[in-house]
Amino acid sequence: MSRARRTAAFLRRCFCRQQVEDELDEEIRAHFESLVERYAAKGLSDAEARRSVRLEFGGPEEVKQTVREQRVGAVLEDGLQDVRHAWRVLRKSPGFTAVAILTLALGIGANTAVFSIINAVLLQPLPYFEADRIVQLESPGDEPDLLIRYISIPKVMAFREQVQVFEHVALYYPGGGRMNLTGGDRPEQVAGMRVSSEYFPLLGAPMALGRPFTADEDRPGGPQVAVISNGLWHRRYGDDPGLIGRKIDIGTASYEVIGVLGPGFHWDSVDIWVPLRADPNSISHSHDYYAAARLKPGISLEQAASVMKVASERFRKKFPPEESFFGHGFLTAERMQDVLVKDVRPALRLLLGAVGLVLLIACANVANLLLARASVRRREIAIRSAVGAGRNQIVRQLLTESTLLSLAGGVAGLFLGYFGLRALLLINPGNIPLIGEHGAGVTLDGRVLAFTLLVSALTGIFFGLIPAIQASRTDLSITLKEGDTRFGPGVRQNRARWILVVAEIALAVVLLMGSALLLRTYLALRAVQPGFDAHNVLTMGMSTDEPRFYKTAAVAQLVRSGAESIERLPGVEAAAICSSLPLEPIYEMIFTIEGRPLADKPYHGMGAWRSVSTKYFDVFRIPLVRGRWFTEHDDGAGAPVVVINETMARRFWPDGNPVGQRITLGKGLGAPYEESAPRLIIGVVGDVRDDGLNSMPDSTMYLPPSQLNDGTTEVDSKYLPLMWAIRTKVTPYSLSPKIISEDIQRELRKASGGLPVGQVRSMDQVKVGSIARNDFNAMLFAIFAGVAVMLAAIGIYGLVAYSVQQRTHEIGIRMALGAQRGDVLKMVAGNGMKLVLVGLCAGIAGALALTRLLSSLLFGVRPTDPDTFIAVSAGLLVVGALACFIPARRATKVGPMVALRHE
Amino acid sequence: MAKSDLLQGTLDLLILRTLEQRPLHGIGISDRIEQVTRRVFVVGPGSLFPALHRLAEKGWIEGEWGELENGRRVKVYSLTRSGRAQLTQEKRNWQRVFTAMNQVLAEDV
Repeated sequence: MSRARRTAAFLRRCFCRQQVEDELDEEIRAHFESLVERYAAKGLSDAEARRSVRLEFGGPEEVKQTVREQRVGAVLEDGLQDVRHAWRVLRKSPGFTAVAILTLALGIGANTAVFSIINAVLLQPLPYFEADRIVQLESPGDEPDLLIRYISIPKVMAFREQVQVFEHVALYYPGGGRMNLTGGDRPEQVAGMRVSSEYFPLLGAPMALGRPFTADEDRPGGPQVAVISNGLWHRRYGDDPGLIGRKIDIGTASYEVIGVLGPGFHWDSVDIWVPLRADPNSISHSHDYYAAARLKPGISLEQAASVMKVASERFRKKFPPEESFFGHGFLTAERMQDVLVKDVRPALRLLLGAVGLVLLIACANVANLLLARASVRRREIAIRSAVGAGRNQIVRQLLTESTLLSLAGGVAGLFLGYFGLRALLLINPGNIPLIGEHGAGVTLDGRVLAFTLLVSALTGIFFGLIPAIQASRTDLSITLKEGDTRFGPGVRQNRARWILVVAEIALAVVLLMGSALLLRTYLALRAVQPGFDAHNVLTMGMSTDEPRFYKTAAVAQLVRSGAESIERLPGVEAAAICSSLPLEPIYEMIFTIEGRPLADKPYHGMGAWRSVSTKYFDVFRIPLVRGRWFTEHDDGAGAPVVVINETMARRFWPDGNPVGQRITLGKGLGAPYEESAPRLIIGVVGDVRDDGLNSMPDSTMYLPPSQLNDGTTEVDSKYLPLMWAIRTKVTPYSLSPKIISEDIQRELRKASGGLPVGQVRSMDQVKVGSIARNDFNAMLFAIFAGVAVMLAAIGIYGLVAYSVQQRTHEIGIRMALGAQRGDVLKMVAGNGMKLVLVGLCAGIAGALALTRLLSSLLFGVRPTDPDTFIAVSAGLLVVGALACFIPARRATKVGPMVALRHE
Repeated sequence: MAKSDLLQGTLDLLILRTLEQRPLHGIGISDRIEQVTRRVFVVGPGSLFPALHRLAEKGWIEGEWGELENGRRVKVYSLTRSGRAQLTQEKRNWQRVFTAMNQVLAEDV
């Protein structure tokens, strides 16, 4: 009852504030009047009576304040009052408020942007049931600490045996597979995937209709069944519930649809899943698969690791390491999410660090603005403390103002950052995993909101505290007597502002250096000679994942007739196929050199493995260094041949000529990769940077597709689409691009008996795509550095402009005494430039220490590249000079008389 | 007596007890306390009003606007039912403390 009453009283004070205050005022004034009357009755004059009452009991305002202070919820009430006051103060100076909010919005916005990527990529769990229990199964590589996701069946079986720690050990082909949906009048190429029957239970995939594969259907020779995505069901089959049990045509074979996945299930953009049908008893040591499993409930990664250590030892005994490709270390399980984001994690951390610096600069800037304002508001503050505001109250009031500012900046920053980021991701999704198509996975969830709120609140306190404490320290008697601000603020306050500006410049320099280094990387990547000519090359993928193309002769025929019909088109110079395009993933193969004794390993070396048709070198203009190209005669009937690249020639025949030598591929791997006959090296071609523009070329072997054995062709067809590369006489996407592309697609459909093509891109696009993430980093860094420099320039400008304003009187005196404009300019701008120089030096020192963190993102430039450092320093000096001289020039325009009269 | 020496609980008790006899306005309360305690307790407005508002908020007293003979509007405070209960309780407490203190002081050294 009494609590209810107190709450009511509190609410009444909040909502009927004026009435409550009026009543309090009247009650206390009446009391004082009575006292005054009592004194007056003793014969004192009215004024004397009032004075005596005041001396004896204090003033009515003080009494009112003590009443207010001990009310219920006084703290909250004061808070509300502070907010109201702060709001009024901020509204009274819209210019200041706007600049401060904008500055904070930039700082907080940049942080929100980066955090929302981090949230989507690193923090949000994968969209699968209890995703933190899903682990990728990996096998040790040839170097210590190198883990390889590719895995062989015997290794997977070693995991499957550990039933006490793993369940649902699933096998699948890594992504990139395509399948042709034929039947009906609209053949369509979609992303398809072969998975073992454990795959769906592993991911806890919800079925909208039907069921996932059974173990029976996953056995070699099992029935042809397929599970399709909800998206495909909707798009192609109009949500028809009767689809279950019906046959659909994939290529020339027909599959029974047994399940449709729930709408929330995504795995890359795969639309069709069919059983993998791997033979669990296979002892092939070829690493063709990926494998993943679920940790049993309550089992930690460490427990699983120790179990796998023992299992690895057993495996090593069963299969000699040199035959089973068992490298250093142990079979390992790693959280799938960690595996997926491994590549981007360091870059994201760096970006977070960079935006942290931007936020610091924004804070310094606003703190500076507040300090400048505080010196203008000194009299206001002095008066407030003279009428009874305690130091705490003043600090609290000023902090309320800064928090209000930062929250407003936070709201603006949230929108700026989030929508700015979405816009950026539309331009360049940066090849970042887990962010969905065009960054659709980057959502504004509770965590992002909480982050922004927290950052804003902390920011408000952070930049508000120094000015608030300083303002509250003001010596009353001096301030009030001073009467005007002609002689500027105290030395201490100026020093704080100088330090802030120097810090801002230093931080901006660090960011600018980082950004410049990434820009150099951006340019260097574009200047790299990739070893092939990407211009005027059109590429498209054709899935041959159907039984008729599991035979080499059929694929060879398809390639020959396809290339012939395309090359008949006007505007086409040459056409070729390849197992994968330059710069895109490829697989590796071991080889042994005929007539050379083996050393420690059962093979001489390992190299990238590419099957390419005759015109590949013409299409990509890869130069021949030695020997000859493939010809049409290097087919199934001819002697087996291979063309190698310069790196392989140099590495394995350092002093001799490889042409004329023979190598055997896949020796010891077993079928299908072990080749029965050695291949004759007929030529050496120039190196191509197949692993990416930023890495050196690896040993590479080129083989004619017509000379692969049937088993290899089958794996190839199931694994990845055949890539067509066509050199056109004009840029594929400039002059009548559509027509050429459509003509080619039509010819290919005809030549292949109706296979659709997909993934139509120009090679230039492929090239840009391969460095998208570098570009994304460079772009974000450039934006952050730009904001940083702008804020720092505003900081210097503000400080110099403010000092000009404060020193107008002094400048007037100097000019009246004969100082020339040049002297004044030098004096005012010189002070600013001193700060710029100090900041620049501090920034260079900081950059020397910090830019090496960027090393992993850089290419073609050292983290302490002197040219970059000099250029950035020069640029910053120019910006700094402008920021100093513009306001300084204004000082020289002041007439001495005006200045002297200036108050 | 300086106001800091006046224990808060004592002041509350003094006010409640004063209002037990009849409703009074602020100056009436402090006059009455001064008179009854023979100027041992002098309650200035700086302690009186915070105490009055505190007690009102707890619901032990309530204020109502009234008029003095000279026409001045003042707030007149009276004891509520729960205030009366509180007073009984505080009286008992005080008696206990008082007795205890006396015993301590009366003890032979």
